[in-house]
Amino acid sequence: MTLTIEMLFPEIANLYGDNANIDFLARCLPQARIARTGLNETPEFASGKVDLVYLGPLTEQGQLRAIKRLLPHRDRINHLIDSGTHFLFTHNAMETLGSRITNAEMNYDEAGVGIFDFSTEVGMFERYTGKVMGTFDGVSQPIVGYKSQFSMVSSSPEIPGFMTTTRGIGRNPTTHVEGVRRHNFIGTSLIGPVLVMNPHLAQWLLSSLVPSPAPEIALKEIAVAAYDARLREFHDDRTWSSFERVSG
Amino acid sequence: MTESTVPVPGNRHGPRFGLRALAAVWIGKCAASALRLLGREGTHVPGRIALWVCPGLLGCIARPDTVIVVTGTNGKTTTTNLLADALGAIGLRVSSNRAGSNLRDGIVATLISGVSLTGRCRNDVAVLEMDERSALRVLPQLAPDIVVCTNLTRDSIKRNAHPEFIAWVLSSALSPTTTLVLNSDDLIAASLGSDSNVRVFYGVDPTGDESREPSGSAVDASICPRCDEPLEWLFWRFNHIGRVRCRACGFTSPKPDIRVSPIDSTTGLRSLVINSESVSVRLANESVVNVYNVAAVAATLDVLNIAPKTIGSVVGSLTPPPSRFADETVGGVRLVRLLTKGLVGVAVSRAFAHILSVPGRKVVLLAVDETTDRFDGVENTAWTYDADYEYLADPSISAIYVGGVRRHDQALRLAMAGVDPTRIVLDESETRGADLVPLEGVDAIFNLHSNHNAVVTGDVVHGKLRTRLMEKNS
Repeated sequence: MTLTIEMLFPEIANLYGDNANIDFLARCLPQARIARTGLNETPEFASGKVDLVYLGPLTEQGQLRAIKRLLPHRDRINHLIDSGTHFLFTHNAMETLGSRITNAEMNYDEAGVGIFDFSTEVGMFERYTGKVMGTFDGVSQPIVGYKSQFSMVSSSPEIPGFMTTTRGIGRNPTTHVEGVRRHNFIGTSLIGPVLVMNPHLAQWLLSSLVPSPAPEIALKEIAVAAYDARLREFHDDRTWSSFERVSG
Repeated sequence: MTESTVPVPGNRHGPRFGLRALAAVWIGKCAASALRLLGREGTHVPGRIALWVCPGLLGCIARPDTVIVVTGTNGKTTTTNLLADALGAIGLRVSSNRAGSNLRDGIVATLISGVSLTGRCRNDVAVLEMDERSALRVLPQLAPDIVVCTNLTRDSIKRNAHPEFIAWVLSSALSPTTTLVLNSDDLIAASLGSDSNVRVFYGVDPTGDESREPSGSAVDASICPRCDEPLEWLFWRFNHIGRVRCRACGFTSPKPDIRVSPIDSTTGLRSLVINSESVSVRLANESVVNVYNVAAVAATLDVLNIAPKTIGSVVGSLTPPPSRFADETVGGVRLVRLLTKGLVGVAVSRAFAHILSVPGRKVVLLAVDETTDRFDGVENTAWTYDADYEYLADPSISAIYVGGVRRHDQALRLAMAGVDPTRIVLDESETRGADLVPLEGVDAIFNLHSNHNAVVTGDVVHGKLRTRLMEKNS
């Protein structure tokens, strides 16, 4: 049976090179069908079977547009998450599914889709850029990546994260909990793109999507060489700045 | 144009120019003199010191009767220089931060250099390049008469985020009385300001060879700003530069008031159409990027009520400053050096597209890490996936030599783009590729380096290749 990966709103959700996550999956799964759903189209997941739903980084106005399009499908998204469908929402895409997004400088305070109980504060003059390294229970190797964002997410620590940082900040500078995880839903503010930069995570996702026989990631040797080089660098204390520490 | 800002000799102070401001000007001038004695250019430090003495100096220092700010992602330094040259050729006394010190300190330093010890302005017009992120720190106090925006495309992920953010910053800082000169072929730049602003649009007409389908990873104007439906491209040049319309609601790119026609293949001339009046011009540099810069200059001169004939004659005499580009043939092989700004995917894509446009069998040496970023913050390599490495997968490129600490990331990006891994050669050294690259069976060799390593890598690689090519030929 053909595997379907649905890429939501690629005409606006395409910042920071993150759509390479899907290019990479397409290389790993040449038999997969990539459905690119435009902003004014009805998502395939709303009525059909989709194996992975992906939403990438958006502008601030793009976030509001995405919320408007996803809101009618809130119950369906909740159902799909609870029934094990895979989701990958990267960078600020994850924030669309929270309870609120507040942006004082751009003068809005909007309700999110409301799948997760967290809120987002956007500070247009407080862009944070930093490295992140941490643990994810699906793989034994550390996850590595970058943050470059205007927003910080606040939530109760009980909401499970995608990963726990060992270096670098989590959802905000006061927590090691990064992103959000529920069943096979992964939301992370990491860019990189996270699957390309973390071949072991990509392999875990492939194995989860296609359990038997699990395909091997594409360009494995090159991807692992790049990952290993970055990991060596991230293990060097001298590469970390004080602002990349979790406070409090 | 509906608002005339013809410069007339005179003097204009902002509010509250008092002794403190005058003292700041003197101290700034002393600092500039001291720096010059030390052999330094002093393009921004005098401004910083003066602002420390008088934080409101930008709002009250005497400035020329016409103040023009040039901003945008690409081409602002060239456009500033061309515009300053054009106004000088018309006979005006021009103050300009030509050296590219385009933050608030540099702008203040430029204004200080343009006033006398009594604080009186000595120039007719100021042409000031401004970093687009500095808008909120500059525009409200400076209150320029004209703001020229060349384009707003993706830039550093870390600093500039995305063009919509930069457009918001600029629009937040603009006064409704400022006249805007905007690129009509850039939907994001063209959206600047409000209905209160006088907006003059310039564009470069299609040649007929352009695509109508955008490609690449950085197309930031894909949907209609009114109804969110997909836009139809009447022609597409690169990134989101081109002209669009929306079939659903009728929205279109703004109609340019000043247009530059395609080159006439028989005469080598272009038509510069200024509000329906056409003049013929011959440009010194025919690259589309330069044509846009010249169109911006012509549109600004039109706002200043300069006659179209004069504009045609002035812009035809303009010579763009030397680019950070070299192209020579040594020993029968074309040796091309391209500044390829790492961290900025759009700039890197343009360099890669240029390689593809050169005919023959090619080899590329790639050392575009921006390692400086690692020392003053965080080197975020996500930008490589915002750049179109796919251009390098072309079979005319037989090998790509990648040097530097990010070579493994670069190799992965190249492989993701479809470059055959057997054609990628990695080396820790950024310059050793110049010793290894084969010279036989190659028509062109490209030396791609970034800003920080222009000397330590770009110069060294260029020198090595030149020597090898000359030796081969001797």
